[in-house]
Amino acid sequence: MAIGRTGPGVARVIEGRKSRFLLGALVLAHLVAISRQVEGEGGVSLLERGLWSVLIPPQRVVASAIQGVKGVWTGYAGLRGARDENRRLQDRVRGLETQLQATQQQIGEASRLREVLELRPILPFPTMAAQVIAREGVPWFRNLTIGKGQKDGVALNAAVLGVGGVLGRVVAVGPTAAKVQLLLDRDCGVGVRIERTRTTAVVSGQVAFSDSGTSELLMKYVPVLADVVVGDVVVTSGLDQIYPKGLVVGRVRSVGKGSGLFKEVAVQPSANFEKIEEVMVATSPPAPTVMTESVR
Amino acid sequence: MRVFWTVLALLVAFLLQSALTHVVPQQARMVDLFVLVLVYCGLVGGETHAMLAGAAGGWVQDVQFGGGVVGLSGLTKVLVGFGVGLSGTRFQLTEPGARVLVLFAASLVDALIFERLASAFDVRIETLSLGGLLTRSTLNAALGGVIFFYVDRHLARRRHP
Repeated sequence: MAIGRTGPGVARVIEGRKSRFLLGALVLAHLVAISRQVEGEGGVSLLERGLWSVLIPPQRVVASAIQGVKGVWTGYAGLRGARDENRRLQDRVRGLETQLQATQQQIGEASRLREVLELRPILPFPTMAAQVIAREGVPWFRNLTIGKGQKDGVALNAAVLGVGGVLGRVVAVGPTAAKVQLLLDRDCGVGVRIERTRTTAVVSGQVAFSDSGTSELLMKYVPVLADVVVGDVVVTSGLDQIYPKGLVVGRVRSVGKGSGLFKEVAVQPSANFEKIEEVMVATSPPAPTVMTESVR
Repeated sequence: MRVFWTVLALLVAFLLQSALTHVVPQQARMVDLFVLVLVYCGLVGGETHAMLAGAAGGWVQDVQFGGGVVGLSGLTKVLVGFGVGLSGTRFQLTEPGARVLVLFAASLVDALIFERLASAFDVRIETLSLGGLLTRSTLNAALGGVIFFYVDRHLARRRHP
């Protein structure tokens, strides 16, 4: 009888001990896993690669399904204003053709000038298009997953571009997918220069809280005496050896006094981070930027 | 059977979370469907169940939506799962109001622990403001309350047709 009365209590104690033991084991395992994370091929641990190969296919299906639904809806909505849109586009095409002719003339001229000045030519770099199969699902990081990986030629640290400008870089590559860290991520940094004055600096992630809804970038290490005004175009400098130089990052939105030797400069990114469905990934690393210039 | 349903719930959470990031990217960042799964497991199955569900969900979240360090969400959710499971076995948390409260608290604690752990491991993250923390917790609590209600009703109908 005594055993019968104490049975459930004893069972509860044993169950409690078991769960505490499990808690201890799980916490320990996580601490070891986090502390000893060794990056494998493509910046991804073996475990992460394994999990990715399981998680990517269903996510790809979801992305395709949503793209399909969006496509049908866009097609329907597009039909409604198609005639006006068509007329407007034809006018725009005529304008762009004229612009293109002018640009081609300028390119030819610039190319000839480069040859004359014996400067290293700035070549366009090869890129590939990739579909975004997932966006960040947590408030603490800014990244996205694209549906192309090592098998397609995506390399670690490859620059990723979108409509309007630079989006970020590849931080982890799996066989068929890759994770892209966006410029908005607090851990992201890009070597930039102000196009007008050639002042170099570093642009990094968000200024405000994650939930503030702003998508501003912070421009660091801009000297107090530097000539920076609102509206200045910010482009990549190429000094970080990740992003090819000359890509548009954004425009200076505000210039503050800051503290110490540097100004506080906020940059409005030119890329629209909220509506990314396809991106362009650079398939070859940028040529190393020469830090010194020969004096003629 | 319990393992099957838990894995299925985690899979559904993963697919829904992925779909939400396409449809409403801004809002999807404030919803954590894995927390809902672990809270339900904790309330129904106790701390062991919740810890294991939390660890699995956290790892999926880390790999697919997280930053450079895998395991932070896993560890966070193991701790939250233990707390929820312990509360589930110690207190009467079968009423919808009590469950919503647990969901709110679990979401809040989840975010706070994650931010503290990230800071401890020197992982640079964007933090949530107080308003953001409360919004996230309220959103998860409201969503979880509705989902739990329908899941319970469905299970009750299956038991007593």
